[in-house]
Amino acid sequence: MLPVLAQQVVTFSWKVITDNLDVLWAGVRLTVFVSVLSFTIATVLGVFVALARMSERRVVAAAAAAYINVLRAIPLLVFIVFIYYGVAIYFGLTFATGIQAGIFAFSLQYSAWLGEIFRSGIQAVPKGQREAAMAVGMGPVRTFVTVILPQAVRVATPPTGNMMVGMVKDSALLYVIGVQELFRNAQLLANRTFRYFEIYLAIVLIYLTLTTTVYYGMKFLEQRLQPVDVLATAPRRFAPFERRRRERLLELRERIGAEAAPTRIVAPEAGA
Amino acid sequence: MTGQDATAPVVRLQGINKWFDDNHVLRGVDLAVSRGEHVVVFGPSGSGKSTLLRTINLLEEPQKGSVAILGVEYGPGLDGEIAGRRRGDARELRQHVGMVFQQFNLFPHMTVLDNVAIALRRVRGVDRAEAEERAARQLRRVGLLQKVSAFPAQLSGGQQQRVAIARALVLDPDVMLFDEPTSALDPELVGEVLGAMRDLAETGMTMVVVTHEMGFAREVGDLNVFMDEGVIVEQGGREIFTESREARTRDFIKAVL
Repeated sequence: MLPVLAQQVVTFSWKVITDNLDVLWAGVRLTVFVSVLSFTIATVLGVFVALARMSERRVVAAAAAAYINVLRAIPLLVFIVFIYYGVAIYFGLTFATGIQAGIFAFSLQYSAWLGEIFRSGIQAVPKGQREAAMAVGMGPVRTFVTVILPQAVRVATPPTGNMMVGMVKDSALLYVIGVQELFRNAQLLANRTFRYFEIYLAIVLIYLTLTTTVYYGMKFLEQRLQPVDVLATAPRRFAPFERRRRERLLELRERIGAEAAPTRIVAPEAGA
Repeated sequence: MTGQDATAPVVRLQGINKWFDDNHVLRGVDLAVSRGEHVVVFGPSGSGKSTLLRTINLLEEPQKGSVAILGVEYGPGLDGEIAGRRRGDARELRQHVGMVFQQFNLFPHMTVLDNVAIALRRVRGVDRAEAEERAARQLRRVGLLQKVSAFPAQLSGGQQQRVAIARALVLDPDVMLFDEPTSALDPELVGEVLGAMRDLAETGMTMVVVTHEMGFAREVGDLNVFMDEGVIVEQGGREIFTESREARTRDFIKAVL
């Protein structure tokens, strides 16, 4: 008994991975496909959920609240099984594939979570912003697009990034309905080769790579959303649009500053 | 822009009544502001003075009363008296009325220049180059041309409020409203904002100012309006500060001076 165990422990071999890269790669592609598509649909749905949740019509707001509360209360794994087997069989629906059922389940549940994130982002914008936009003559749509949304996006970006990371990880749950994403493929491969440790280690590293990529992508985006004063900051690594803005503003400042006999209402650049 | 009457008061409020649920905050207020006039509204907090100011550009919609700008009716009217006459759109009204808020309310995601230029571009449809030029001129007027590329968070409160004044001025309004413009400022920054307002008053701009700055009121106010509990208690010229008729006015002035 003991010698056998010892033998198994020492024979770590990465060869099973390199031999089956195509299988793992197919898994990665399906994982990314399901995650990206589900998240995209959920984002679009989530915007409508958020708007409905804030609707002044009581019925609409209550329906949206119910949608959010019900979907968020169901464990995702249960929901996937419920959609694929339960709903499909009871109503005689035939999802052509588990992939479609999975995307359906993810899109719905993530739209509830994202809807709440978007709502809190919009509501985090102070009331005075809306008033100031209206006071200069903007209508409700213009106000939302020009003033509210850009500020809401900045608030909602970090939690949305977290949801995106969660999506990649949750996609592994589709193994229960036989979708051959990364985890399912790894499982099949391990059952065939008995190289459990190597294979599961490999997919842990692959998930780590995927989620880290998403994480740093969002970090980059967050930085991009940070305003940069292009005239006060040393001209280090400006993006092209920042460089153009810098040149335009420098020129404007010089030209307007040189105009004759301005009607000043305070002393020139007092304390500015 | 239809049906404007140059001889009409710039702002004329009649019989303004406003309730917040059961709370009757404006109880039949009348006020007329003629061109070039500087009106200062003062009174204890909760007297309805800010709400009154906000009904002038319909940020608060009165349930009853007439809001006329240059002779054009924008309010709900006086119990049917104005029924049948065309009621102007609030968005059109706001083209004529500039507003400066207590909390500045600059758009934090835009540069100082964009804060001022945005309404020209998005509301008036002026092209970018011209809008930025006109915005820069207004910023120069308030002494902040050097800050075109800055964001509001980089500015002091006084500077932010001056940008807010430029943002309202760029639309070339017929009247400027100021809602306690210095109340959120550190004491040492009050002066620069009052200075800008004083200089603006000297250019002949029509102004309605809600403020606790009695010094400013005495210096600039052509018409001084004392409000309490949703009504105008007393109004008059500078003499209101020295020889007011009403005991309530006297008590308030004594308390704040």
